[in-house]
Amino acid sequence: MVHYKSLIKPWLLVVAALCALSGVVPSPALAQEKVIKIGTIFPLTGPVALAGQRCKAAVETAVEILNNKYPNIKVPLADKKGFLDGYKFVLVHADSQGKADVGKAEAERLINQEGVWGLIGAYNSSVSMPASFVAERAKKIFMCGASSSAALTQRNMKFFFRTASTDEIESHEFVEVLKWLNKTQKNANIKTLGLIYENSVFGKHAAEEAKKAAAAGGFEVITDVPFTPGATNLDSEVQTMKSKNPDALFGAVLGADYALMVKTMKKMNWNPKVSLNYCSGYQDPVIAKQLGPDANFFMGSTGYSPQFSKMMPAVAEVEKIFKTKTGGVPYDSDSIQESVAMFVLAQAIEKARSLDPETVAKTLYANTWTSPLSLSGKVAFAPGGQNKLSLSIITQLQGGEYKRIFPKESADSKAVFPITAWDKR
Amino acid sequence: MNHRALKRKDLFWLALVVLLALMPAVSAVATNTFLMHVLILILLFSAMAQTWNIIGGYGGQTSFGHSVFFGIGAYGAGMAVVTYGLSPWPGIGIGMVAAAAVAVLISYPCFKLSGHYFAIATFAIVEIFHRMFLVWYWVGGALGLDYPVVEQGLKNFMWYDTKTGYYYGALALFVLVFGIVRFLESHRFGYYLRAVREGQETAESLGVNSQAIKLTAMALSAALAAMCGAFFGQYNLRVDPSMVMSLDMSMKFVLVTILGGAGTLAGPLLGAAVLIPLQEYTRALWGGLGGGVDLIVFGVLIIIIVIKQPAGISGMVRDIAKHIERRRAAAKGGTSIDAP
Repeated sequence: MVHYKSLIKPWLLVVAALCALSGVVPSPALAQEKVIKIGTIFPLTGPVALAGQRCKAAVETAVEILNNKYPNIKVPLADKKGFLDGYKFVLVHADSQGKADVGKAEAERLINQEGVWGLIGAYNSSVSMPASFVAERAKKIFMCGASSSAALTQRNMKFFFRTASTDEIESHEFVEVLKWLNKTQKNANIKTLGLIYENSVFGKHAAEEAKKAAAAGGFEVITDVPFTPGATNLDSEVQTMKSKNPDALFGAVLGADYALMVKTMKKMNWNPKVSLNYCSGYQDPVIAKQLGPDANFFMGSTGYSPQFSKMMPAVAEVEKIFKTKTGGVPYDSDSIQESVAMFVLAQAIEKARSLDPETVAKTLYANTWTSPLSLSGKVAFAPGGQNKLSLSIITQLQGGEYKRIFPKESADSKAVFPITAWDKR
Repeated sequence: MNHRALKRKDLFWLALVVLLALMPAVSAVATNTFLMHVLILILLFSAMAQTWNIIGGYGGQTSFGHSVFFGIGAYGAGMAVVTYGLSPWPGIGIGMVAAAAVAVLISYPCFKLSGHYFAIATFAIVEIFHRMFLVWYWVGGALGLDYPVVEQGLKNFMWYDTKTGYYYGALALFVLVFGIVRFLESHRFGYYLRAVREGQETAESLGVNSQAIKLTAMALSAALAAMCGAFFGQYNLRVDPSMVMSLDMSMKFVLVTILGGAGTLAGPLLGAAVLIPLQEYTRALWGGLGGGVDLIVFGVLIIIIVIKQPAGISGMVRDIAKHIERRRAAAKGGTSIDAP
């Protein structure tokens, strides 16, 4: 028989945990101060936790600059302490775990319990979708940095704003690269295309946009290979591509899956003539470092890389603060967009001279915003909330560095074409 | 159990339902949307766990495949709304029938396996359905189904500005599932099911058709799990394979029941009442810190509970009640009824 006292102990722990729920009740003290609470929703745990942690650090970096005086940093509002006559941002972080239902519940909690003024997030398109729906119903602004699904800005929402490019824009850019290679490279003769993508909202959307763009550009998709994210083996997927041997490969492969795909291609001694990749697998500087020389000659769209420092001189000082929060890891194309979103929101509040979300939303639409952390240097929103000035450059990893190769006016290097064979590296 | 004890037990459940029905009348509860969210999840996960309890607890067949039935229900409602622009109600009905049919088709061969092999087979079935739905264009594939904005109310079973509608929906689900199990528990079918659990050969030697009993229990369990899945989809306004048809979701069915006490009526409620607030509040408190602090705390608390009382929380409650009864009897100078 279990003793009565020993039964009480676990219950005490459970009760103590439940008592702690009082901690989620918003602090009334903050309401007295001149603060604006912003809720962040990122995947801080789960398969893309590293990317989520960097996005969180990017928002924290922007808030640190906006709340304090940094005259040496050349971004709007950095030269004064706070904004809107002394207001400061306070961040309340939430973990979506990369799950749509958790993200939606956290959006509701942040709005209703924490009393946040607006939200920023949520990295995964599948999470941004329901979380921004909650914000829209509550008339709260939702700033979206890195979610790439084009569908997000096709919903005619009033309070949703995205600063990054969409997979639709990137797909058309990739097709332009293929046309450019056919025109400029001797015997390029790129006609066929293969797609490899994770079977998620992100991957599926990217693949659909790729198919549309390829059809419009006159390229034939001859192989279409989805895989389950978090794969431990991609042998059969790469084998399928090798057997079809498309001239070009478009990949929507995130995080560790990207590293696995490249290693498997090496193991099977197969490469297409050119490989273009969406989003943060290719763009992730940590993964590029892990892959070492094997990462070379792959291409992808890039919104930022430390090698762009001459084009974006203001980033260096901001990045120093960012690195203190990430253990020395620099910005990547996704995380920098979260800082951009935060800086643009602060400018809009300052310009609107109001904390009314409808007024701030109208102001966001009505103006073009200075954004030294964006490649185009500016941000402006089209109806639906998409940044119509978003820009990314096609880069190719050469010697471990992201070299700009397309468009011509932004290029600093020549493309290595075709990809050097594995046995000739 | 005598007739009087049965009545007392039913009165307890009735009082609990009345209390739960009155909860939204308390303004401190109704205005706290996070608390409402937690209460809705407790009711939903209690009902989900109770559906599993029919076959897993009372029937002794450990199934890790319940997210398949849950997912079919979610897709039934989701497709009715998103794909066909209808009310979710016909989709819920179709989903329940489809889930029961799939359960019978899957279980017929799988029930020939015993013990761990049956559990392993159900694991594989979740993976098969998950992958199938990921690439099945008609059901939305990996993109899933995102609900459009439609009129709020019972007709569309959707509310945007308040959680009260969802709360009463979850309560109705809870009452229905628990009511069915309470009915079965004290009727012939329930006794047959428990007899099969305790010894299939012995039950068969006494004339119980164990295969028919298990298949019926599985079909009922699956249909009710599908109804819970439909609620989950309507509540989150999104359905995709990873969300509703995953091993993660299957584990929740099992975990809540085992933690509360399998094979008991109160077990699923006790399990959900402990597990869901722990999950939600640890995430709310520490999730934002990153690094999974909330998940570590959550996991450690579950380990403590399981180590201290392997029979689940209902076993813990039973032991405490017996202990109090013995002390009371000892104080009166008598002997406990449980004394050897």
